[in-house]
Amino acid sequence: MAIIHDDFGRRRFLSQAVMGFGLLFGMGTLGLRFLQFLIPSPTPKRYEAVLIGAESRVPVGDAVPMDLGGQKIMVLRTNDGVVAFSRRCTDLGCLVSWSKEREQFVCPCHQGVFDKTGRNIAGPPPRPLDRFEVVKRGGQLYVNIQSS
Amino acid sequence: MESAASPVEHRAEPKSWIDYIQKDLPEHLDWWPYTLGAIPLTLFGLLVATGLLLTFYYVPSPDKAYESIEQITNEVYLGWFVRGVHKFSVDLMILFLFFHVIRVFVTRAYRTPGELKWVTGSVVLLVTLGMGFTGYSLVYDNVSYWGMTVVTNMLGTLPIVGQPLLYLLRGGEEVSGGTLLRLYDLHTKLLPVLLGILVAGHVVVVRLLGFADVRGSRRFHPFYPEHTMMMGAVAVGLLVLITDLVMIFPPTLGPPADPQEVASDVSPPWYFSAPYMWITLLPGPVALWSLLGAVGLFVVYPFLDRALSERGWPMTAVNAGVGTAVVLLVVVLMMLDTRM
Ligand code: FES
Repeated sequence: MAIIHDDFGRRRFLSQAVMGFGLLFGMGTLGLRFLQFLIPSPTPKRYEAVLIGAESRVPVGDAVPMDLGGQKIMVLRTNDGVVAFSRRCTDLGCLVSWSKEREQFVCPCHQGVFDKTGRNIAGPPPRPLDRFEVVKRGGQLYVNIQSS
Repeated sequence: MESAASPVEHRAEPKSWIDYIQKDLPEHLDWWPYTLGAIPLTLFGLLVATGLLLTFYYVPSPDKAYESIEQITNEVYLGWFVRGVHKFSVDLMILFLFFHVIRVFVTRAYRTPGELKWVTGSVVLLVTLGMGFTGYSLVYDNVSYWGMTVVTNMLGTLPIVGQPLLYLLRGGEEVSGGTLLRLYDLHTKLLPVLLGILVAGHVVVVRLLGFADVRGSRRFHPFYPEHTMMMGAVAVGLLVLITDLVMIFPPTLGPPADPQEVASDVSPPWYFSAPYMWITLLPGPVALWSLLGAVGLFVVYPFLDRALSERGWPMTAVNAGVGTAVVLLVVVLMMLDTRM
């Protein structure tokens, strides 16, 4: 085994190390840029009130699924009024549907169950369904949703 | 036993790479279960061939994907056959990889110096499962669509890398045409190349490191023609089996993807059935981390074995126990899946 003790050896080692790091740095930056190219940035969100129609559109005790510009929601009308939930299951993002008999939202993917207030009551979902504000203006219902 | 001398002394040292590949095998390899590695290799070849054929008709766009598969299945001459062979080859490849893993695990054939054989092999298994997932996503039926949603969401819950990974796979916030195109690229370009390299690497590593020592196995089983013949026989047998399977169970197609409604049954293919039940039964983070932990342990198992046996654990018995427990768990989970 040769031990580097002369000036020449040290200089060669240093220059190789610098070149090596330079190369790694360059490739790393390029790789990172390529990755950025592949990963789209999230689109900014804005809130807007979307008209969903008159209250009578939803029968009492029932829920109607709607797609508001990609936001899939479920408008539920109970005796207490009208509420809008996101249909996106809080477990892994399947769509919940309303079971009229059970008065529950159910997710077929892993049998997640939510009650009529959106609370997660069975299965893997870790939190309640997302809720959107419903406002009534002149007999018409509007839902405040986040859209891109 | 004729001679106690080490088998290596009988032969000249291999010289070129072809000699490595053709190096004679230890005697115990003339037992059929020792072709369990050659079977997935054959199937991989079959998958590449049929996969290439399918790309001539498949269109990776949300409104054409399902339609093009329908066309392959019902209109294109022998389309159903090519698709059927592709499908059954995946199923069998994964099945035999499982058998291969079980055999190696139970016989502890990964012991020093064979760790690298295990590690390369385990990555082959993982990439093959990745091929399975990306493959059935391309069908773009209801199971594909919600499978993509669930799997990408699951990866998205990982800390730090999760969200970028989700955007990387989906090509946006939601599962969309971009997602399909990305999975298509993975399935037909990146992963097959990776798998090809890994498989070749695994075979070369196995030949370079040699086969595990088995007591009493001293003599040779010539690679050519004996073992080559066995592998050939296995390949022919497989072809016959797959042809029969495709004839009896021609490929079908589920309902098309519907982003507005989840089908009542979204069970994935059988090889994902156990993890699917696992995430159904356990709360999200527990399920995800236990799965990831299991995968990690699986890849580095030879080192774990070494550490434990140095501490005096009876690893042969432990492996038999662990193997049986895992297989039982998987079977129970799969049965639960068919019930639900
Ligand atoms: S996605 Fe709804 S329960 Fe898993």
